[in-house]
This record gives sequence, structure tokens and C-alpha cells, in this order.
Amino acid sequence: MAVRITGLGIISAIGLTVAENLFSLENSRSGIAPVKYLDSKNDFLVGEVKCSNAELLGYLNIKSQPVSRTSLLGLAAAREAWGRNRHTPELRTGFISATSVGGMDTTERFYKDYLDQNNPDYAVLRCHDSGNTTERIAAELGITGYINTLSTACSSGANAIMLGARLIEQGKLDRVLVGGTDALTNFTINGFRSLMIYDDQWCRPFDESRTGLNLGEGAAFLLLESDKSARISGNPTICCLSGWANAADAYHQTASSPEGTGATMAIQNAIEVSGLSALDISYVNAHGTGTKNNDLSESTAMINVFGDNIPDFSSTKPFTGHTLAAAGAIEAVFSALAIQKGLIFPNLNFNTPIAETGLVPITELQKDQPVVAVLSNSFGFGGNNSSLVFSVNR
Amino acid sequence: MYINAASTISHQPTFRNAGFSELIEPLDNSSELISPNYKEYIDAGLLRRMSKILRMSVAAAKDCLTQAETAQPGAIIVGTGLGCLQDTEKFLNTFLSIEGLLPPTSFIQSTHNTIAGQISLSIGNHGYNMTHTQNTLSFEHALIDTSLLLGEGKDNIITGAADEFIAFLDEAAEHLNASSKHHLTSGASFFILGKNKTEKSVARVKDVRTAGLIQDIDAAIDSFLLDNFLNISEVDLVLYSDFSEKEKMDSVAHQYFNEHYHADSKLINYTKLSGLYPTNSAFAMHYAVDRIQREPKLKNVLILNGLNKINLGLTLIESLEA
Amino acid sequence: MESLKEDLKKQIIEQLNLEDLQVSDIDDDSLLFSADGVGLDSIDALELIVLMEKFYGIQVTNPEEGKDAFLTINTMADYIEKNRN
Repeated sequence: MAVRITGLGIISAIGLTVAENLFSLENSRSGIAPVKYLDSKNDFLVGEVKCSNAELLGYLNIKSQPVSRTSLLGLAAAREAWGRNRHTPELRTGFISATSVGGMDTTERFYKDYLDQNNPDYAVLRCHDSGNTTERIAAELGITGYINTLSTACSSGANAIMLGARLIEQGKLDRVLVGGTDALTNFTINGFRSLMIYDDQWCRPFDESRTGLNLGEGAAFLLLESDKSARISGNPTICCLSGWANAADAYHQTASSPEGTGATMAIQNAIEVSGLSALDISYVNAHGTGTKNNDLSESTAMINVFGDNIPDFSSTKPFTGHTLAAAGAIEAVFSALAIQKGLIFPNLNFNTPIAETGLVPITELQKDQPVVAVLSNSFGFGGNNSSLVFSVNR
Repeated sequence: MYINAASTISHQPTFRNAGFSELIEPLDNSSELISPNYKEYIDAGLLRRMSKILRMSVAAAKDCLTQAETAQPGAIIVGTGLGCLQDTEKFLNTFLSIEGLLPPTSFIQSTHNTIAGQISLSIGNHGYNMTHTQNTLSFEHALIDTSLLLGEGKDNIITGAADEFIAFLDEAAEHLNASSKHHLTSGASFFILGKNKTEKSVARVKDVRTAGLIQDIDAAIDSFLLDNFLNISEVDLVLYSDFSEKEKMDSVAHQYFNEHYHADSKLINYTKLSGLYPTNSAFAMHYAVDRIQREPKLKNVLILNGLNKINLGLTLIESLEA
Repeated sequence: MESLKEDLKKQIIEQLNLEDLQVSDIDDDSLLFSADGVGLDSIDALELIVLMEKFYGIQVTNPEEGKDAFLTINTMADYIEKNRN
């Protein structure tokens, strides 16, 4: 199976556009830094988009308020991915976004005022629900009809991409803009701290010394088109989305199984759907959050699937932070760039392999690589595991 | 797709009560959630942490498996408009008011996919696990995903929707001038959906469609009926929802079916029966199934979800005889 | 020490919503994290760390350290005795 990817858009801690993100990846420039834009008492390390809400409103020329930061980030990326495409009655166009927090960035400010009895602005609650976050973006792009939101924690973005591909495969849509967006919030920072998996240092995925993740924020969208749609739009194909799968770990509410059961199933099934073999995978953009549990479980899953032939792999979360529902979409854009530019991105901050598995990620940028297929993993709470396979357009 | 089991926990006596559609009356403002003894359905170790929405959902999903005599579904697909509000509010309170270490449980259970995740965990299911949250259309999107999955060869899928009421919602609605004539409620409805008709099948979901940011409701209904080769006079029962007097879905449904086309379709506002929550069209689907099983005359039931005026959901339920 | 253990059991039942258990159901040496004992899991372990800070002012910064301390009611009581001032 294969669906064409013809548009990319991204906003993250390492840049406001695809070009800026690529530049940061090529030059090992991380976006992780102490909190600056979020209203927080602490100076935790986070991957913030380097823009205040006021700057985003100006940059995007948005007048109507209230609007959540989650919607603003999503709109920035969705507009870039949509580009100069036009609406036409010939093409049924859909929009699928993923978010885990929705408008929580505005809701938590409201709720603080509410608890303090400090004249809370109830109007902002209109942008709380995740569906509204998505509708705001769709409305700006003029998309009507199939508009949907997925929320499966940290695998959400990958699931939105997968759903879009399935809708095209079964002829329900001709093209669909898919991705995810999440703003940084005190809700999630405090949540991951309460789980004791928030690293006060810079995160170190796949390193023996890893102790947790750094949260980030951002959004990314991809335009998926059927053959017919690409013919009508005339858009060149960047690469193809050829495999996808989701599986449940059914092990624990937050932790991944030590055997990597769900992760192994997701990776295996995604490769099977793509029609490729495990040996065809040139690069794995790992979920690699930097928590003890995820990285061990994911390493085990990679060994389960690839055996002694582990492809080049890295986690790009030391660049962007863990952007939750946006992560799968941001890393899908990175995967597409890896194929388009022949690059393999480095796993920053790696020194010592995990004792149990001994796997060593790529630590320096690799250029001029024949990257023909990329596997991207996204694993979430509730044992929600998704994998996507991207491949060159043949 | 065929409906092989249906289970609802709501403010009405819907749970394990076939024939409820003949008994129930519109809700009044004093109604409360009618909960079964959850211990009969959920392992005590899991139950102790579960909020209302999780209890309702896991119990209804497990009841479906019992009805369909299925040990493992092929996938679990859930729609929820507002997700796990009780735990979300609890964690907001926790981190905004406690200094020092924070208890993590409410954060873990605040994510929308806790519902589908807890169902998979409670039955040990490794299949596709998905959560749709497109406010009032969340359930319809879960149904569309189900039909895709059936097309991909999966079968016996648990699909459902749930939303939970918390007291704060009444307060918020009042301040947003969104108070409705309907009472805000909780509800969970789950189904087992299969590709082929079996001896357990009770009705069929003929088609389901969503229209987000809709411009022309009449045109959307026209094309939906046309695509299903259905004359308007063949729609025996229309289950519709409206938001408030102002939004006029009431008159949209009446105008379209009675005045415009002079069809003698019977119209029922299901929000009066279920109370108001974002995914109450799932309640309507169970109601339709229950009616169809009791009234052989009912062949085609249309669910017209206009709970949010900018979004339209259309679901066509057909009797097995149709 | 005995009253400390009683208090601990009450707090654990309350904080972890162990609705079906009474103080008398938890033996001082039953394994808290074993299915044959009380049957707690890793989320409960985090809740116990919060409990230690909230009620006894003891900070368990490393979840690994908690594993030994939270073996049984006896080990928890010992740990509290040792660490509180």
C-alpha cells in the first residue's frame, strides 16, 4: 500500500518552519532550554516554540479570540503543509488532527483564577475541548466535511497519519491533511513530574544513565494524497507513507511491557502492511523518550523484529523535547526529510549503551545516505503503540 | 456492519434491560445515573482507581462481550467528547493547590484514551485501540473508523462512546450562556460490530457520515439519503438532537421531513431521553436497536445528530428484514 | 511502633482506594506488591512516595529506593522510624 506525501509543515522548539527545523537537525542545535514562555514558577528544561502567544497571533494574523496555543501552533504547521493548494469540488478533502491537551493551556490559566476567585474568564472554556482545537484550524484553512481529532496520548500524531492513509486507501477521501499539535502546559509538566520520569537534566534517550524525558511543544502536518489527487493537484511526491499499524500492549496503565509486546506487534505489522521486509528499513526514528522504561522496552522490540540486523536508529527528542500528541507527526516530517535529503539524524547526548541490550544509536549526522525506507515509532500511555513506514516514491 | 450486541449505562434503566425503549420517558432534572454493581463486571484491583466514565465504559464493553459470546474483540474504538473530566479536574486541583510531590493517578487517568486503554487492559486485548474526540461527532467518527477496519478484514469490534458529567459543567454552561433546556448527564453506550450477519445480529448500521463546519444541512441529508437509495418516505423513524430552543434543529428536522417532503416519518428528540452529553447519539443508536427489535414495522431509522449547530452526524440503522 | 503501623495501614487504604480492605486484613509482613499479598502496582508505589512526604515528611527521591522500603508494613515502619527526625 502507499499514499503520497506531498506537503510538510512543522513548528517546534527547533524552528518555525520545515527549513528551520532541518537546519537545526543538520547542525545539532537543540531547542531544549529552561522555561521561558510558559507561565511557570519553575525553570524546568523544556522544548518550547520560541514565540509568545502574542507573537504567534501576529505571525498567523489571527484576530478572533479566545484561541488556544494548541490551535495556534497547529495552524502554523497546517498552513505550511497545505501551502498553495486550492479547494476544488473534484477532490474530497479531510482534516485530522491529534492532540492530548487540547485547549488545556487556556483552561489551566482559567482554573487557577477560578480557584483563586480572581474573576475567571469563562469564555476561554470554549476552546478547551480537543475537537474545537481542530475545528479552529480547519476553519482557517477552509476545510469542511471530514474533520476529526484523535487523542491517544503520545501516539496520537502517528494515529492521525494512519487514519488519513486508511481513509484514502478505502476511497473515502482523495486527500487529507493529517498531523498533531500540543502546547506545553503546567498540567502535563506536573503530570510527568508526578510520575517521576521528568529529567531535570537534558534528556538522554537510549543511554544507560537516562532518567526521564523533557517535555516539548509543537505541531506538524502532512498532506496525504491519492494518485488521483496528486494528478489533479500536480504536486510532486516527497515520499510515500507505505505502512502503518497500531496495537495495544495491554500490560499496564502507563508502563510498557518489558518484552515490548505491543511495540513489537506495531512494528511488525507496519512493516508487513508496507510490503517491505525488515531488511529494507534504512533508518528508525525511535520513540526514545529517555525514560528507563520506554527505551528498554523499545530496544527489546527492535531486537525482536530486527534481530542482529538493527538498522541505524536515533531519537530526535533531545532536539524537540517530547511533544506528546505532536511527536508522531513531527517525527513523521523528520522521517520524510530523511528520505528526501538522504540524511540520518543524530541521537544527541548518547554515551553509554543500555546494559541489557547494548544498542548504539547514530550519534553524528549522516549525509548522502541511501535512505529508502524509514520506520517511525510512537508509543503512548495505556499501552497505545503505533508505527509508520515511509518509503521512497517508486 | 452488523450490530451483534448493545449495552448502555445512562440516566435511564437501559442496562441489561431489553425493551427499555418502550418504558422510558423524557428525563426530568432530578434524574441520576443508574449504575449497576460494577464489581460484577470489573476486577477490584482495576475498579478502585476508576472514575465514573471508566466504570461505565468498561462495564458496558464487558456486557457486550457477554451478550455476543465473544472472548476477544478484533479492536476497541471509543468516541468521547470531553474525555475523563473527573480526573482532569482532580489533577488541575491537585497541581494548582498542592506544593511538593503530587499523586499521579488522576493525571494518568486524565487522558482521553484511558477509556479504550482500560478496556484493553481489563480483557487483555492487543488489537487496534483508538480514541476519537471530535466533540458531538466523536461517536460517529468511531463508527466510521470501525467500518474502515471491517473493510481491512478485522471483525467483532467493540465500538462505543462515553462522556461524564461533573458539577462544574453546569456552572460553566451558565456562565457561557449555553444553558440548555436539557439536563446535563453522563452516559456510555457500547456495541459489538461485525462484518457479517450472525445469529447474534440485531440490526445493521447501513451508513454513517459526518459533516464538520457544515454549510447546508438539507443538502447533506439529501445526498445521504440519495447515496443510500432511500426515499424520504421510507425513513420510518428519525431520532434527532438539538442544542437549545435557539438553535432550531427541532424545526430543521420537522421542516425537512414533515413540511418540506410531507413524509409521515415519526420524529423523536433523543436528547430528551438521554439528557445532554456530547456523545449521546450512541444512546440513540442503542435506542434505535431496541425499538427495531420490538417493532417489525420499523425498517429504517435515521439518527440526525445536530447537537452542535456547526456539525452534523448522520447514521442510518436498518432492521435485518429491510 | 504498633500505632505507627496501624496509621500506615489506614493511610494506605485511604490513599490507594483499597475499598474492600480493613486494617485487620493487612498483615505486618504481607508483601504489599505481590498478588498473593496486597497486590499493589507501580502507580501505587508513586502514591506511597507521596504519602511518605505528606504524612511523615520523608522524601524518597529515587523510586528504586522505595522498592525496598515498601516491601511490607514492617519495612515501611522501619524506614519511617529511621528517616524521620
